[in-house]
Amino acid sequence: MIKQDINKLEEKSIFIIREAKTRFNNIAALWSMGKDSTAMLAIARNAFLGKIPFPVIHIDNGIDFPESYKFRDDLADRWGMEVIVAKSKIKPEISGYSCCGANKTVALKGVLKEYGFEALIVSIRRDEHAVRAKERYVSPRDKNFSWNYKDQPAEVWDSYSSKLDKRGHLRIHPLLDWNEIDIWSYIKRNRIPINPLYMSNNGYRYRSLGCTHCTVPIRSNAKSIDAIIRELETTKVEERSGREQDKEKAYIMEKLRSLGYM
Amino acid sequence: MSTMINEVTLLGHKDHGKSTLIGRMLMDTHSVSKARIDNAKMMSKRLGRKFEPGFLLDSFEEEQEGALTIDTTRAQIKYRGSAFEFIDVPGHEELIKNMISGASNASFALLMVSAKGDEGVEDQTKRHLFLAKMMGIESIIVCVNKMDTVDYSERRFEEIVGGLRPFLSNVGFARNSVIFVPVSAYDSDNISRRSERMGWYRGKPLLDLLVDLSKRRRSSGDKTLRIIFQGVMGAGDDLKYIGRVVSGSLNEGEQIVLMPTGKRVMIERIFVKGRAKQTARSGENVALVLDRHIAGDGRGIVGYGSRHRGVRSKSIDALIFAIGRIGVRAKIRSNGVEHQCSIKLVNGIDTTTGGAAAWSGVRELEAGRVVINLNDYICVEPFAKSRELGRFTIHSGKELVGIGIVNG
Ligand SMILES: Nc1nc2c(ncn2[C@@H]2O[C@H](COP(=O)(O)OP(=O)(O)O)[C@@H](O)[C@H]2O)c(=O)[nH]1
Repeated sequence: MIKQDINKLEEKSIFIIREAKTRFNNIAALWSMGKDSTAMLAIARNAFLGKIPFPVIHIDNGIDFPESYKFRDDLADRWGMEVIVAKSKIKPEISGYSCCGANKTVALKGVLKEYGFEALIVSIRRDEHAVRAKERYVSPRDKNFSWNYKDQPAEVWDSYSSKLDKRGHLRIHPLLDWNEIDIWSYIKRNRIPINPLYMSNNGYRYRSLGCTHCTVPIRSNAKSIDAIIRELETTKVEERSGREQDKEKAYIMEKLRSLGYM
Repeated sequence: MSTMINEVTLLGHKDHGKSTLIGRMLMDTHSVSKARIDNAKMMSKRLGRKFEPGFLLDSFEEEQEGALTIDTTRAQIKYRGSAFEFIDVPGHEELIKNMISGASNASFALLMVSAKGDEGVEDQTKRHLFLAKMMGIESIIVCVNKMDTVDYSERRFEEIVGGLRPFLSNVGFARNSVIFVPVSAYDSDNISRRSERMGWYRGKPLLDLLVDLSKRRRSSGDKTLRIIFQGVMGAGDDLKYIGRVVSGSLNEGEQIVLMPTGKRVMIERIFVKGRAKQTARSGENVALVLDRHIAGDGRGIVGYGSRHRGVRSKSIDALIFAIGRIGVRAKIRSNGVEHQCSIKLVNGIDTTTGGAAAWSGVRELEAGRVVINLNDYICVEPFAKSRELGRFTIHSGKELVGIGIVNG
């Protein structure tokens, strides 16, 4: 995995986050308490000199890891963040993407409606999945949240879209250029608190965090951030390999469906 | 050690071998897992084909079966201390905006041309080359591919080189900024190692040419201070102006000139990445405390050093490319602000030849030299002088309908 210059990456992310805040009155960020969205919040603090000027949303399906809830409350306190917790309902009969996706989407739609957010900062990275190569830094979603990837507005230089559909919203992706290893380098350099589940315990650690139902740990002895970085420098295994296989397949299928493929 | 990733935009008509080339480079540089190679082999077999290195690119079986065409693909490769991200966007006409999006930050371009009998350079490919040049890509490597199908013939290679040179030069690529290399992506000839089958070729293999380009010093522009204001944060006593230094450097205590008004302000404090700093450098986003307030939120203002005259104009001589329909009345977005304007065509430019054309208006998917007149002053400079101040986008309603660069 290629390690990039985190100073350059951070500058671009700051520009994008500030652009979102300047162009739209009412924005929020999604926070899963995972490494990416937590790093993004640290960048937002740098962009706005310590105080994040928008609320952060945690879509809570009630089955996240206990460590995650504690992490959320501690950090929200420490960084003075306004956290909106949106409860999503888990139906045991639904699994895979339908669980991770559908239920969370319902909860998020509720929040957007209640607060009237125009733009949402989402911490996806391009190297997570092939589908994400098609993402823009600023990407319009319609009122059903669907992503019309086949007809996306052009994104030239640093001129981002402001194409807000009626009752739709914009997704802002400040971390699109970052690789997984860059996130860890940044976390290390800036001493960002991190969810303990990422560190190895009895020979296993989580590389990607979903909820307790669909995340499985990978074999790893990495007990420190340095060890994680060393591990990533040589690995050729995809990040999401820790998500359960059948569910991952369902996730991709669902993603493709939303892309209009099926 | 961190590496600067050079974005490389891949151009070329479908089936000339772009995916195969990326797949081959991934293999030759050991950037993919054995599992993925095995999977690509299995997929090729299942589809009754010979091994297709292109299958290494996307992990979707559906795509490989040809049922789907996912458009943009990206792949990162590290080789001999340099790193590259290859961006491949399909060539359909309606997707030219994707090509522009993919290429707008690229450092250089790689053009794939198949040497096979009936697979020459198409109009759409020429249009992409024109756009690449217009957006500031200076260097290009032309891979003449599928040399195995023409018996590695030097004559065929020279024929293709000779055929392309005039167009590339019309579009504005300097002769020494275009490098031609004969390859067979499929067999990995002249990709990472020089091919013995083409002893007549004296140059380096493709990956080494890419490394050379990545090391070439790019003119970092002049040292003139230019800062583009993005807006404000905070309020009252806590008000700060935010912006980006796009060239030169900015110092605490320095006086700067704000354009287009020409007003002067003093920089009291500078914050970079959340910390107070004495100096901000090119590329850094800043939050500034000024000695006085400026009217409005400052967005779109350009700050220069106190000795600079500052630049502003109401009439711009520009080169534009129309992605959609551009009428006489339009809006241009420059430095983050949209301005009403009128656009008058001086002459059209046929992007498939690079030559001037006598059209009455700006044509869709073509270019033109234009004069843009505005009601208010804006701060632009020739693209050759300042990338950031020399470029703009053209809008109609909420649609982006074109891009433009300011002529010198
Ligand atoms: N003979 C030969 N065939 C090639 C070569 N490179 C690619 N091809 C074949 O040309 C076809 C199209 O290649 P592909 O990479 O999919 O083209 P793309 O549409 O430009 O991405 C595939 O069947 C490849 O196997 C080459 O160097 N020699």
